[in-house]
Amino acid sequence: MNPFLAVVVGVLYAVGTYLVLQRLLTRVIIGLGLIAHGANLLLLLSGGDPGEPPLADAAGVVSGASDPLPQAMVLTAIVITFAVTAFLLALAYRDWHDTRSDEVEDDLEDRRIAALAAREGRR
Amino acid sequence: MKHRPSLIAQTGLRIVFHTLVVLSVYLLAAGHNAPGGGFIGGLVVGAALTLVWAVDGPQRLRATLPLPTFTVIGLGLLAAAAAGTIAWAQGRPFFEAVAFGLDLPLFGKVKLTSVFLFDAGVYLVVMGMVLGILVNLGEEVEA
Amino acid sequence: MPGPPPLPFAALPVFWLIGSQLVVAALVLAAGRRRPRSAVIVSAGALAAAFGWLAAQVGTITSGGVVVEHLTWVPHLGVSLDLRLDGLALIMGMVVTGAGALITLYSGAYFKWGPPTARFVGYLTAFAASMLGIVVSDNLYGLFVFWELTTITSYLLIGFEDEKGSARAAALQALLVTGVGGLAMLGGLVLLAQQAGTSSLAALLADPPGGTVTTVALLLVLAGAFTKSAQVPFHFWLPGAMAAPTPASAYLHSATMVKAGVFLLARISPAFHTIPFWTPLVVGIGLTTMILGAWRALRQHDLKLLLAYGTVSQLGLLTALFGMGTPAAVYAGVAMLLAHALFKAPLFLVVGAIDKQTHCRDIRLLDGLARRMPGALAVALAAGLSMAGVLPLFGFVAKEAAFEALLARSPWLLALVAASSALTVAYTARALWGAFGRKPVSAQADLVGAKAGGTPLFLLLPAALPAALGLAFGLLPGLAAPLLEATVGTAGAGALKLWPGLKPALGVSAATLLAGLLLFARRDAVERLQRAGHRRLLAKWAPTGEGIYRRALAGLNRSADRVTAVVQSGSLPVYLGIILLTVILLPGSALVLGTALPRVDFGGHWAQFLTGGVVAAAALAILRVRRRMAAVVLLGAVGYGMAGLFIVYGAPDLALTQLLIETLGIVIFALVLFRLPPYFREARWRLGRALRLGVSAAVGLFVTGAALAVGTASRPPPVSAYFNENALSAGGGRNVVNVILTDFRALDTLGEITVVATAAIGIAGLVTGAVRSRRKRQEP
Repeated sequence: MNPFLAVVVGVLYAVGTYLVLQRLLTRVIIGLGLIAHGANLLLLLSGGDPGEPPLADAAGVVSGASDPLPQAMVLTAIVITFAVTAFLLALAYRDWHDTRSDEVEDDLEDRRIAALAAREGRR
Repeated sequence: MKHRPSLIAQTGLRIVFHTLVVLSVYLLAAGHNAPGGGFIGGLVVGAALTLVWAVDGPQRLRATLPLPTFTVIGLGLLAAAAAGTIAWAQGRPFFEAVAFGLDLPLFGKVKLTSVFLFDAGVYLVVMGMVLGILVNLGEEVEA
Repeated sequence: MPGPPPLPFAALPVFWLIGSQLVVAALVLAAGRRRPRSAVIVSAGALAAAFGWLAAQVGTITSGGVVVEHLTWVPHLGVSLDLRLDGLALIMGMVVTGAGALITLYSGAYFKWGPPTARFVGYLTAFAASMLGIVVSDNLYGLFVFWELTTITSYLLIGFEDEKGSARAAALQALLVTGVGGLAMLGGLVLLAQQAGTSSLAALLADPPGGTVTTVALLLVLAGAFTKSAQVPFHFWLPGAMAAPTPASAYLHSATMVKAGVFLLARISPAFHTIPFWTPLVVGIGLTTMILGAWRALRQHDLKLLLAYGTVSQLGLLTALFGMGTPAAVYAGVAMLLAHALFKAPLFLVVGAIDKQTHCRDIRLLDGLARRMPGALAVALAAGLSMAGVLPLFGFVAKEAAFEALLARSPWLLALVAASSALTVAYTARALWGAFGRKPVSAQADLVGAKAGGTPLFLLLPAALPAALGLAFGLLPGLAAPLLEATVGTAGAGALKLWPGLKPALGVSAATLLAGLLLFARRDAVERLQRAGHRRLLAKWAPTGEGIYRRALAGLNRSADRVTAVVQSGSLPVYLGIILLTVILLPGSALVLGTALPRVDFGGHWAQFLTGGVVAAAALAILRVRRRMAAVVLLGAVGYGMAGLFIVYGAPDLALTQLLIETLGIVIFALVLFRLPPYFREARWRLGRALRLGVSAAVGLFVTGAALAVGTASRPPPVSAYFNENALSAGGGRNVVNVILTDFRALDTLGEITVVATAAIGIAGLVTGAVRSRRKRQEP
């Protein structure tokens, strides 16, 4: 395990978290993208040491290759992250289109429900 | 914003677009044995479509589409799911690989596998997604 | 687990027995609204066909055969659709399909062939399919799935008149009580399967496990059986379930679903009744339920409730008989079960007919129906006398068999059951007199019934057939005997006789009949005694199951309210912060306390330091930029750096994908950001900047630690070895990553492209919605 790349994963997660904990939707989306990169790298690292591409020779033998399973997982993760990011961008666009702001407001409905629940709970 | 196509870009596009489409089909077909596959092939054809969108504009992209976006995505999902049911219908586990021959009029006997059908489904879904983004977001933002 | 060779679907009759009902139910629910008659005919026809097929198997089963089918489902967890049709399954299956076909016809007339008919019949058919599933399941998990399906269909049927609050509450109560029992049962079944090393019911019973774990497992399974079959203290849901339309009450809540619990007992009791706690517990609960149900039936005024408490009582007797587990007791139990279906369903159906004709079910108000509805009276008499155990009806024959089995065990048991039989006679008389007798003119209420018309054919015939069958089986017990013997497996376990000879059991029968009639004759005194007893004792001292249910539900709601009031602040950063802090505190502390120091090794290709450095630097730079586009470009730099790392790690597929995605991604970001203002606006934050920095740093440290721990932890041999070896031979491809995606883990990939497709649909929805709202704004 190379501790340097582990630190890189940590940096991706930390910066991503910092961005996600704010209210501007575009920044949140960028933060999520960074966290996704971090997760992909973490998955790849968990497969062990680097190696040759996992391609079998004509006899069906694979030698000296890196672990193929994390690669398969990361491949689909990359595509899904792309699709979800595009969806979030559409959401940010729609928010901007309707409200001229891409800030995530407090959910007033949530607060109303909480107040209602507090009343019910006291009864 | 009115779209003003550039002649050089349009000429370049004619060459690059077809090359990319052929490349994407090659990547799809070769993907089982070499780097490539449905995801990558779908993204390459998506890149080709992005070029069409950038050069000719979203209206033109929509006009040249042979099929609507959701038909492409639906066909992809259908193909992938069908690939799984082939083995199942024969009483073997869902998604076990099955090879079957096809007699096509021009090509003669062609050997196909359910895996290829599945990967082609992936290709169509990924391509459809990129297409959907371009047609919807692209057109909206231009408007 | 190597299974038998797979069969093509067409050769699986038992599978299609269930599957065809499901198909019909879906069809009827989807297309039957406008054609209630066709819906009824198709559903009843399918059930009748299933009944016919089962009847054709009688020869095979009585000569000792079984029909077995296997369909793998999740083979690695031992979950499969193992279907097994043996004697017990056959007799229950015939009850389910036979009663189902008749009651479906009845429901058509009951709902006057109107729009609700199709929905009702559809639910009923879906229920029949689930119930058949319980009956023929040989796999513990399959059994559980069908078990819960009956709970759900029962919920839909009890709450069928969903505009009534009381019906919804009763449906929810039945769902929660039987659902909680079902969950307990699932736990028990999992433990049993673990103990026995098999999930096949037949294999489990052939070689039953023992020990403490098995005891716990059995207790949990019993909780499921007791809730389903309405045993004390869970019995209260069944009278509540009478909110269902009467055909559903007749079918689910007397003839079939409530029998699922006792059916399960009949299945497993022979293997487990030798465990010390088993007989005292099961027989004790059964007998308590039996007495309590009969006693409470005696003071009901609503005919349906009266019959419902009668069902509770009969289920108690069945539980006791099956709980004994001896062949003679099981034999008698199955006979009782069949007899009960043959007499209780017609009684309910007659009550439904009376309700339809008079809009009344109160025995104090119904008057003079004997003359107005003679057909209904005849059916009710045949069924009622069977329920009371009067010669020469099947109820008598079955009761005699039960008495014989009990007498062989202990005279005390017989005395208790005889007492309950006397109560049964009394409440039967009360029901018959209440429905059809002449009432003295009373001052405070208007009697109904004088103007009722006769009974329509379709309300009468479905009730008359099983009642007639009860008479036929009573006169010729030899008709039913071979099937009953097939359920026990050994010949001579018991005998069904119309005239048992002058034995003690016959004397007991005669005595219970007399005592019951006496109780009925002095019914006013009995009623006074009951009311006084209830007021003085039970209402004050005994915590009823229903009370506990109510309090538990209220408490759950209250605590949910309190938690919501505290947690739900409405702020997204606060929500995320809470989740992240939980991650840091729980798995984080485990990481710090539980792992050794990692092995540090700075080896590897030099390029990974370069690309890794680019990734980290670009990510950190995003924190500083204020232009949106600059942040996107930096995110792209991170992505290209990742592609570089993928190349170093030997993952060309990933590198290709990442490069393509990153390029397309920048285009799409640009598409949207083109519309937004170029700079991020500094906004007021709810969480302080320092706090956010702290949480983020902690998350980063935690993930770094986790990455290092993953590298240090000892691990089992990776599954990838299997993938590497079999990629070419089994998957037919040399690119192992692609073979995993398209073959080994293809189902995962199918799920993933479904997510992709869903996202595309979501994007289209968001954008077209924006266009529409803009048009609306421009138009007015």
